[in-house]
Amino acid sequence: MPGLHTIVCLKVVPKSEEVSVDPETRTLDRGNARSEINGQDMNALEAALDLKDTYGGRITILSMGPPFFEPFLRLGLAMGADAAYLMSDRAFGGADTLATSYTLAAGIKAIGGCDLVLCGEESSDGATAQVPPGIAEWLDLPQITYVSRVQVMKKARLLRARRQLQSGYEMVETLLPCVLSVKLGINEPRFLDFQRWEWAMEEAPVTVWTAADLGLDEGYLGLPGSPTAVSSVGAAPSAQRRGEFLSGTPQEEAQQLLERIRPLVRLS
Amino acid sequence: MLLGGDVQPLAAEAIACGADTVILAEHPLLEPYTTDPQTKVMAGLVLEHKPDMLLLGATPNGRDLAGRLAVRLRTGLTADCTDLTIDEKSGLLVGEVTGFGQGILATIECPRHRPQMATVRPGVFTRPQPDPSRQGDVRLVPVELSEADQRVRVLRRSTSKGVDITQAERLVVGGRGVQGDFALLRKLARLMGADVGASRVAVDQGWVGHDRMIGQTGSITRPKLAIVCGVSGATQFTVGIQDAETVVAINSDREAPIFETADYCIVDDVFQVLAPLIDALEREKAGKKG
Amino acid sequence: MKRATDEAITLDDAYWERLMAATDGAIAPCFQCGVCTAACPWGLLQDEPANVRQILRRAQLGIPESDGAIWWCATCRACEVMCPRGVPIAEVMLTLRNLAWQDGAVPKGLSSVLWSLHWDGNPWRRPPSQREAWTKGAEVKPFEPTDEILYYVGCTPSYDNRSQKVARALAGVLNAAGVSFGTLGEREPCCGDAAYGLGQHDYLRQIIAANVKLFAEAGVGTLVAVSPHCYDMFLNHYPRENGLQPLHYTQYLAQLIDEERLRFQEPLEAKVTFHDACYLGRRNDVYDPPRQVLAAIPGVTLVEMPRNREDALCCGGGGGRMWMETAAEERFANLRVADAAETGADILATACPHCIACLEDSLKLAGSPMRVMDVAEVAAAALGIGRSAQ
Repeated sequence: MPGLHTIVCLKVVPKSEEVSVDPETRTLDRGNARSEINGQDMNALEAALDLKDTYGGRITILSMGPPFFEPFLRLGLAMGADAAYLMSDRAFGGADTLATSYTLAAGIKAIGGCDLVLCGEESSDGATAQVPPGIAEWLDLPQITYVSRVQVMKKARLLRARRQLQSGYEMVETLLPCVLSVKLGINEPRFLDFQRWEWAMEEAPVTVWTAADLGLDEGYLGLPGSPTAVSSVGAAPSAQRRGEFLSGTPQEEAQQLLERIRPLVRLS
Repeated sequence: MLLGGDVQPLAAEAIACGADTVILAEHPLLEPYTTDPQTKVMAGLVLEHKPDMLLLGATPNGRDLAGRLAVRLRTGLTADCTDLTIDEKSGLLVGEVTGFGQGILATIECPRHRPQMATVRPGVFTRPQPDPSRQGDVRLVPVELSEADQRVRVLRRSTSKGVDITQAERLVVGGRGVQGDFALLRKLARLMGADVGASRVAVDQGWVGHDRMIGQTGSITRPKLAIVCGVSGATQFTVGIQDAETVVAINSDREAPIFETADYCIVDDVFQVLAPLIDALEREKAGKKG
Repeated sequence: MKRATDEAITLDDAYWERLMAATDGAIAPCFQCGVCTAACPWGLLQDEPANVRQILRRAQLGIPESDGAIWWCATCRACEVMCPRGVPIAEVMLTLRNLAWQDGAVPKGLSSVLWSLHWDGNPWRRPPSQREAWTKGAEVKPFEPTDEILYYVGCTPSYDNRSQKVARALAGVLNAAGVSFGTLGEREPCCGDAAYGLGQHDYLRQIIAANVKLFAEAGVGTLVAVSPHCYDMFLNHYPRENGLQPLHYTQYLAQLIDEERLRFQEPLEAKVTFHDACYLGRRNDVYDPPRQVLAAIPGVTLVEMPRNREDALCCGGGGGRMWMETAAEERFANLRVADAAETGADILATACPHCIACLEDSLKLAGSPMRVMDVAEVAAAALGIGRSAQ
């Protein structure tokens, strides 16, 4: 049996601390924000590379976004992925999780399917964590979310994963193909492999697809295809803190502190 | 809607807490939680009852289910809400969400699709005081599931003792600066009826379990009082504590950013300050008893 | 971990060829005398320290390293000073690391440091937008080509709480001397030292190419760096045709003292011992300028530690060791702090952010009343700068 074919869904996000809200227009100002590959997606890619190291096979990167995503996808190729597809079309703009998962699922079908879809659990900008289950539903594949460890029994086409829950974890298994979302920080993404650099930057295949290329259902694309709508945007309020410094010996500091917080303490 | 293997005992609690009708769906394949059977049953119930809104907890399983269900129902989902309101004019559900590492607040509506789905972040709404005298309607519905409906199997589950720091009223929090020594922090926590929380570094180091981690990638907490010891106060941490009513920061580094988000600040060695604080509380406690 | 000596040795011709190409034959002259192993500071702290001679022998034969020994090197060059054959041992270590990157055999945590360089432009995982936080609101103007110098702050002084004080102190001293200077602010790039120290030669080349362009566009001539690591990078790894003139700040301050632009009038009564940073001393022969600055301050008594200048003991923070953990009882700086304490000095002065971090950590463990100060901080204190701000 040939190696695994894994598709990794990857998103480029603005650095959170550089995004602000224009107080006048109450719109998001991400114009000057630097971008990076979503951290969880880097973990998903590393998980895929790790599986490739063990079981062989190939990795395809899939992303939906504007043309400026392309050099970021090439970084993934320099890390060790084999091919990349960028779904880029104005018609995809403004997509919510329903439209995004529809578009990415269509991309996965157009690539010709795979053994495993790996996603980050959520993106740092939207933080919904709803796209991976959405992709699984559109493809009618089993899903395992919040994964912290993956193991594949290749012959049996069986995948075992450790799922993080609120307190504790569970071990689950399913048959390939399936869709996984991995938690932030489950592994350390390997750095760029400079032996692959020139190939990744210049020769490697990065295919750009528009909506028309794939004959997608416009009713599920972009802003018009999104059931949810953002009705307002604002900067999150920052709590005003007292910032009172207590000083003296540690005993004196403890005493002053106790005087101030005593009403909030319940002796037990 | 209560889905599970044996969830009947929870129905009375739901009614006491304010539910008018409880739909009970019980089946061995609904316990433990797996995506496919839960989605199938809940989608069926939604299509049958056609609710205006469908709310789920933004827990790992809640988000796992909601994401799948929303696509099956071809409707909109507002994820991980920090507040929910109803717009007076339109009658629409308005979900408040944060994004970009909590820096941005947005409100999201789902104008034309039903149900309007949302997941709600744990700890955002306080659980109502149960009123045992409240009456309600409990309906047990038939569930049709077969093994073929379950594609993911749970092999085993390991749950640590039920810690839920999102619900803690008081927290004693340790970070890198406690150097792995949580003994005094635990002692103080026990004494003042608090839970122990930790920064990411402390969890990374294995000093405490992941379920005690506060911050962007841990739990968002909203205690009345948080005593934060030896935590430098990176943004990733402070998002998890910014809703606390009162924050105390103890750190030997005057320049630590945690002081910018604290009400009472002590620049000193954590243990040197905690020891007399514990002494004073113990004396008071002994005095009360005596 | 299994050492190759436990089993039959297999020579790997392909590895040997890669190694010879990568080191350009630099290991060949080694005749295995073992002085390097004897000179290595690890021998002072570990029972079975990394065997430098053996690493070189294995490299000569083309036996890949498997036990991680190549990552211990702090690139302090204590061995090279002694080597009778002139083998560039530290560079060989970095080349072995480079091959380890190619083979995917790298200790945990180091990829993250490089990703931080890639995404944030600093090895400390801090947002690039906060690069100017060190100024704490103090006015430091943007660099203009007409300025006498570019003040190159560097990553550690920009972000690390402790080193930020050094950066502010130096800005104060430059102002007191009436120097016209500016910084590149948020645009200031990382010099690439972390990539160099971790053996990422290819990535370093990219960083240098980008920075050369940026400096040329900004019109940078004389560049004054806070950290000896940045200074070493600019001096020895950057092309010089664009008129880039790197100086370590101690060299520049010594120059200002010579020109009588920087004058210390108030006495600062203190006994000071100076710790030579490897990237200043052994690497670049800058031994006198920091001592000249300290000696120019009335009231300062300069005392030397027995191991000084070429024989100085490394703090342990070079060669990427700042990003690798060292067990508390195995830190070079423990010994260095003891060296300093024996002189009876009040102040252990140095001129490197990495040295300060390592020495202060060890000082905390030792519980000594001595203070670690940067030369810039001593100078600022003598000028009465920042007294109210401290």
